[in-house]
Amino acid sequence: MNAYIMEVEKFAIHDGPGIRSVVFLQGCPLRCPWCANPESQEIKSQLMYKEKTCIKCGKCVVNCPQKAISIVDGKLQFDREKCIKCETCAINCPVSAIHFIGKSVEIEEIMQEVLKDKPFYIESQGGVTISGGEPFVQFAVLKELLVRLKEEGISTAVETTGDTDWEKIEECLPYIDLFLFDVKHSQASEIKRVTKGNGERILYNLKKLASVAANKIIIRTPVIPEFNYDSKTIKEIIDLGAKYQVSEVHLLPYHTLGTSKYEQLDREYTLQGIKMLSKDDLKDFVEYGKSLGVNIQAGG
Amino acid sequence: MGSIVDEGLSGENNVEILAKFPCEKSLEEQLQVMELYTEKHKETKGMPKGKREIACMRVLFPRMFRKRQKEDLFVGRYDALPIGFGAVTSLGGVGHYCVFGKLSTFQQQLEKEEDKQRVNALIEYWNDHDLKAKHARKYNDKIVNKVFSKNSLDAPIESSARLSGMMLDYNKLVEKGVKGLRQETLSRMCDDKDNEFYLAVLDALDLFSDCCDYLAKQVEDEITYADKDQIEDLKVIVESLHVIREEPPKTFHQAIQIVWLYAILAGIINYGRLDDVVGTFLKHDLDTGYITYDKAKEYVKCLWTMIENKRTTVNGRVIVGGRGRKDPEAADIFTRIALEVCHECRYVEPQFTLRIYEDTPEDIFDKAMQCLADGATYPTLYNDKVHVPGLAHCMKVSEREAEQYAPFGCGEMNIVGKTVGTPNATINLTKTLNIFMNGGIDPYDNVYKGDGVHLKSLEDISSYQEFYNEYLVLVDHYLDILAYSQAKSYESMNNDVDFVFNSILMDNCLASGKPLLGGGVTYLGGCCETFGNTNTADALTAIKKLVFEEKKYTLTEINKALLADFEGYEMMRKDMLECPKYGNDDDYADKVYLELYDHVSRYTREAGIRNGLHHYGIVIINNQQNTDWGLLTSASADGRKNTVYLNPSNNPQGGADKNGPTAVLKSISKLDSRFHLGSVQNIKFQSDFFKDNMEKIKTMIKTYFNQLGGCQLMVTVVDAGALEDAMVHPEKYPDMIVRVSGFSAVFVNLSKEVQMELLSRTLNARV
Repeated sequence: MNAYIMEVEKFAIHDGPGIRSVVFLQGCPLRCPWCANPESQEIKSQLMYKEKTCIKCGKCVVNCPQKAISIVDGKLQFDREKCIKCETCAINCPVSAIHFIGKSVEIEEIMQEVLKDKPFYIESQGGVTISGGEPFVQFAVLKELLVRLKEEGISTAVETTGDTDWEKIEECLPYIDLFLFDVKHSQASEIKRVTKGNGERILYNLKKLASVAANKIIIRTPVIPEFNYDSKTIKEIIDLGAKYQVSEVHLLPYHTLGTSKYEQLDREYTLQGIKMLSKDDLKDFVEYGKSLGVNIQAGG
Repeated sequence: MGSIVDEGLSGENNVEILAKFPCEKSLEEQLQVMELYTEKHKETKGMPKGKREIACMRVLFPRMFRKRQKEDLFVGRYDALPIGFGAVTSLGGVGHYCVFGKLSTFQQQLEKEEDKQRVNALIEYWNDHDLKAKHARKYNDKIVNKVFSKNSLDAPIESSARLSGMMLDYNKLVEKGVKGLRQETLSRMCDDKDNEFYLAVLDALDLFSDCCDYLAKQVEDEITYADKDQIEDLKVIVESLHVIREEPPKTFHQAIQIVWLYAILAGIINYGRLDDVVGTFLKHDLDTGYITYDKAKEYVKCLWTMIENKRTTVNGRVIVGGRGRKDPEAADIFTRIALEVCHECRYVEPQFTLRIYEDTPEDIFDKAMQCLADGATYPTLYNDKVHVPGLAHCMKVSEREAEQYAPFGCGEMNIVGKTVGTPNATINLTKTLNIFMNGGIDPYDNVYKGDGVHLKSLEDISSYQEFYNEYLVLVDHYLDILAYSQAKSYESMNNDVDFVFNSILMDNCLASGKPLLGGGVTYLGGCCETFGNTNTADALTAIKKLVFEEKKYTLTEINKALLADFEGYEMMRKDMLECPKYGNDDDYADKVYLELYDHVSRYTREAGIRNGLHHYGIVIINNQQNTDWGLLTSASADGRKNTVYLNPSNNPQGGADKNGPTAVLKSISKLDSRFHLGSVQNIKFQSDFFKDNMEKIKTMIKTYFNQLGGCQLMVTVVDAGALEDAMVHPEKYPDMIVRVSGFSAVFVNLSKEVQMELLSRTLNARV
């Protein structure tokens, strides 16, 4: 079976306990404006272009069989409609200013890669995290990966938006040791409005999952100014954590480290001008959580 | 200034990062002492070399001791002159030496013409008598194997004659004391009355006692006008000197003092397993309340300062921890204090080294991590589980003997009291590859360095295996020269001197009545430093893949691109850079590296043994030679440009590791440790990242040691300032790991934009 992935990241230490590898699957039903991995949203190979690296030599323009690249006013322009992802431009770029992200690989190949770090997982009580995108989008792949990991005795975590059918979660449950469950807002309508995700379904799945495996859940909330960075919302999320008795709640301060990817994809980053948050900004919430007996922290 | 046999003997290419303290004596007195030394050397011609050595040393000792510095709790600081006696290039010189460059600098400081003439007379004499000069005259071929040459790194191999590689048996010193050593010598002399070596040993021990008396007298004089609060400390020093002049030490202070003083007389700049040597004394003094913990720490701190002030740059090893210590509990008390001192001092030296083994207490490991987290760069970590069996094989000794291993200098292994294993040979494997690819001509300077070896031309080579085998023909030829030179280096030294002080504390010199290099030392070994290991392997990988598998280019085309430094061949360079690289846990690249390693290490071993050494092996170590030699090495097929630094030690080339630290650790732990005498691995972290994730990093290091068979690790943690510097000088930070967002990465591999972002974030965090 083939999986559409972005990459396998080694020595990931903020996506679950211990030392881990993260497999980033493509495809996501949500469109969060702050998404740090915009190239993960769609299942396809995507051209990424680093303008500051480019020396404007024009090789890509000449070589492109689709004539999809042009130089206008000294700037490279890509006709992404015309592009057939043949990667001729990337192969011929002398400074590697162009690359394609998103590829189809055999599950066995992913397994071989993640198994390389098995000694580190064992010693650190870490494992493999499957992230995305939304991993449940490629459900068959997800399940196969989880089964294979379990066969190898490796601890598993899934980082999910929760926006999937409950049956799918239920089916994978025996093979998942930990859910990093994104709760972006306490109100379904707000989730829907801003992320385009099915807020009702997300909160329902959280409740359902908590009723059978609360100890496997870490609620993760990206704290985003002008969206959920207000006392009421964050506290409501923490309250949910307390009510469901999930194992932990992590508040992730908003950062802008993904913005250069938007430029590389020729997409607009709509949260321009919003400042990053620090862990310190969230300390009152952490205190609040602790007062409710919630195992809570700022940062992943 | 008079003529010098070879400009390289000026000593200018001795690594000296921090300048030494200026000599305390007046110029006139220094000149006098050098003249006296020279006179004594002339007078004693024909005398047995051991006795001659001590007679000459008597000109220097005790006269050249420096005055005690106000804060010193031990005595025995020493000024080495440009002419004198020593064991290593980092402190004075080797044997009866003259460091011509330093002598020239000295001469320039003189005002009177007649004084300058006096120096010229010295130069004239030492041209013919300096040990290194004599050795170089015999063995420097000036093209392939340069010996003590100023531009030695033009050559693909380099050799020298030094005695740095050895760790004295200080346990014997503190157990027997001078008296015990003298008794042993006398009793052995009953059967061998006329043995000149024994007579020299007795002279040496007398000299040691005399030095104690001289220093004691100095301190006694000081007491009469010292500050009140210093008097107690001074009395302790005097008392210690009175004891150790004859008797074995009884206190912690005495133990350190005797080791320090002995090391000075032996010209030694590495201090062995100090916890094992002084731990028992420390524990006793603390248990009996003779000294307080704070006092003990003051002593260690002073020792650290005196080692730092000696400024031997890549030496000053103090080793703690590990198997085979006589009283681990006592030794660990010293280790804990030393870790605290290391944390507070942040000195470049001592090169503080912690051996990790099954019974390393958890708090010691934690303390070590804390030192590293706070940027102390020490301790360097060694893994007994790998090194003990590995060295037993490599050095052909029992595991029990191997338990007493001690790295010195840059990380070359020796067994305390049993081996001499100086790295008197180095090879640049990348330069060698380029020379081979050009029929023996080095593209760096277009000089023929093939030494008559028949090499196939690239056009006639039709498979990777053939290419690789042909390259090895030249490598093997060079390794043969080096093994021969190594053996000869000992011969040259032994022709001139006995190294009496060193011999006394090395098995089996006293037992056999022979000096160190004259059949005395139990195992006479040595090692060969190999440079450019990773560049070469990555270049071979690229050639294997691009030429013989993908058939994208021919060997000739590759060579043309290298000769052009990739001008006009940018795409080929990109292809090379995109080939698999060592350090990513990539089996393809790692296999090529390991094949090269296996061959070079095994051939070196055989060549050494064939040349009469007990054992011989390669070391893959860290100093600045990878940078210096890279500057004189033309472009290589791994995509490295002309005159760019070579990879450091057993690390990936800067920027080539793109798969995170676990992958690096996986790759670098694949070496078969039974075939090297030391391999150094570096890993760098940004400080916030390290501190935030200390537990996980600790686990990662433990996995590397316990599960993967990693032998050694040097951890550096750098602060935010380093990030700024890394943007300007990426070459200085090839392996610095930083936290990006959901992942960590090698800082210099990130795009400028992300680097800027990280920088701004870190700077914010600093405010």
